[in-house]
Amino acid sequence: MNTTHTYIALISLALCSGTVLGQGQPPGEATVSRAEHQALKKDFEALWAEMKAVREAQADAERALLQDASGPTWPELERIRLTQDMIEQILLETKYGESNFHVTGFAFTRFTNQEGEDSSFTAVVAPIILWELSDRLLFEAELEFGLETEDGEGKTEVELEYAHASYILNDYVTLGAGKFLTPFGIFGERLHPSWINKLPDAPMAFGHHGGLVPMSSLGAYVRGGFPIADAKANYAFYLSNGPSLNIEGHGVGTLNFENFDDINNNKAFGGRIGFLPIPEVELGYSFQFSNVTPSGFDQQADALLQSIDISYVTESDLLGGLIDVRFELVFSDVDDVAFAAEEEGHAEEGGHMEEEEEEGLEELLTFNNERSGGYFQLAYRPTKSDLEFLRKMEFVGRYGWLDLPSGAPEAFDQNRWTLGVNYWLDPSTVFKLAYEHTEIDGGDDFDAIKAMFSIGF
Amino acid sequence: MTMRLNIRNSMQSLFLIGISSLALHGCKTEQQIADREPDTTSIAQVGEGVSPITTGGAKLWAENCIRCHNIRNPASLSDRQWEIVLHHMRVRANLTADEHQSILEFLKAAN
Ligand code: HEC
Repeated sequence: MNTTHTYIALISLALCSGTVLGQGQPPGEATVSRAEHQALKKDFEALWAEMKAVREAQADAERALLQDASGPTWPELERIRLTQDMIEQILLETKYGESNFHVTGFAFTRFTNQEGEDSSFTAVVAPIILWELSDRLLFEAELEFGLETEDGEGKTEVELEYAHASYILNDYVTLGAGKFLTPFGIFGERLHPSWINKLPDAPMAFGHHGGLVPMSSLGAYVRGGFPIADAKANYAFYLSNGPSLNIEGHGVGTLNFENFDDINNNKAFGGRIGFLPIPEVELGYSFQFSNVTPSGFDQQADALLQSIDISYVTESDLLGGLIDVRFELVFSDVDDVAFAAEEEGHAEEGGHMEEEEEEGLEELLTFNNERSGGYFQLAYRPTKSDLEFLRKMEFVGRYGWLDLPSGAPEAFDQNRWTLGVNYWLDPSTVFKLAYEHTEIDGGDDFDAIKAMFSIGF
Repeated sequence: MTMRLNIRNSMQSLFLIGISSLALHGCKTEQQIADREPDTTSIAQVGEGVSPITTGGAKLWAENCIRCHNIRNPASLSDRQWEIVLHHMRVRANLTADEHQSILEFLKAAN
């Protein structure tokens, strides 16, 4: 285009200058001779021919461009430009700040129909807030909102399950503090969320109520993982306020893990060490040592909790699906102390006990305060089946037990069989149905049906 | 052992749970559900068409992320969301720095 314009401009200039020269000059002063006129005419004709050639070449080039299928056409180029503008606009609108925020969590509704009790529904929603302040610093908190209907009465409960900050110190060490899920065993820290737990309830030794182990702790921790040749190991140690011994009421001799004010200056020290000889297998040992003497109690009591856990998770060609095996065994050993005997009606304050002791030892209750419990769980999901319906099914069996001190009030050994069938709508949405049979030493056996719908979001 | 469960009561309640399940599930948008496809835990199937399971990040993902819960589809979260979640999982699962980085790279490439 540009060359054409230049030629046109030159020619016009030439013509104009000729006219101007011819008209503007007074006659006789600068008339153009015939020879000059002929020369100009020749120049003009040469330029004209050249311009025609250039024009034709350019038209050919344009035609070639339009016919070339691989290159973009003008409308296409225009569309690309518009799309580019749009993308730029979207990028500007969604530009992030420095910190990252993500809300996740889970929700479930559960139905329980237990022999000898009113059937009931439970609904829980547990949002989890993850706030990544930097590549190393993470704050996480879980709130659990529970709705319960018991004996026709509605209740709402809110619990701060955890709220803690962690800092990645280096490749192998992470430090943290706050209220955290206790890295003792695996159920509490890894398996309890309803979209992960393969049955509608917790194994007996691991519940919030009447369990043998802490589900959450208030304190500080250090944790991490590292390779050992081809194998892997991980660790988590913590220092926390620790549990206190229940010295009165029905649960005398049990540990209260839910007290968040430290009861004494002795912190609980605990942790777990895990070892993975191959990626599918993990073996763990956990412990927690603490002084559990409640304030005002005149005897000293220490508690040592220990557990071992084994996990095996693999997708087996031979069995055509995913196998998930879990085993956990817990021992709780609390120093033997003398409690005020409940039936005498003196079980109020620790301070009363000295008087009672003077009156007579028969009013005191003491027993060998050792407890143990655990579970074995096996789940199978035919993930390799040709039938989509089967791939979504999961079959689960669990045997759980609790051995309690024989001298303790209202403490009966018990064991429970649970059989469950799950239907997974997606990796974190599941409908669970389970049948349970519980045997209580010296009491009546009972059965229960539990159903749950759970979503991890 | 006598089974004294009120069967009729149970059936009614199960029906209610079923209905509420459907209602809750229905609350998710079509897009969310589509995002989560394929909805099976099968590692091979989840990884299908994404990247061969034998490469570093994908292999570590398949090995590590199935240890505690079902594997979620990489497409279910954005790059930014995976960054936060992987940070969360690094702490929870005591992952090494290597595992953290390789798995994160894989997820960002596969989502
Ligand atoms: C040691 C067990 C464990 C391992 C291994 C593990 N997770 Fe998790 N994951 C959990 C638990 C427990 C939760 C639920 C968090 C809660 O409720 O506090 C969770 C939650 C999640 C969530 C939901 C969002 C969130 O951050 O809570 C996603 C997504 C997830 N994990 C992905 C992964 C991926 C990807 C891997 C592989 C790197 C992985 N997980 C490995 C235990 C584990």
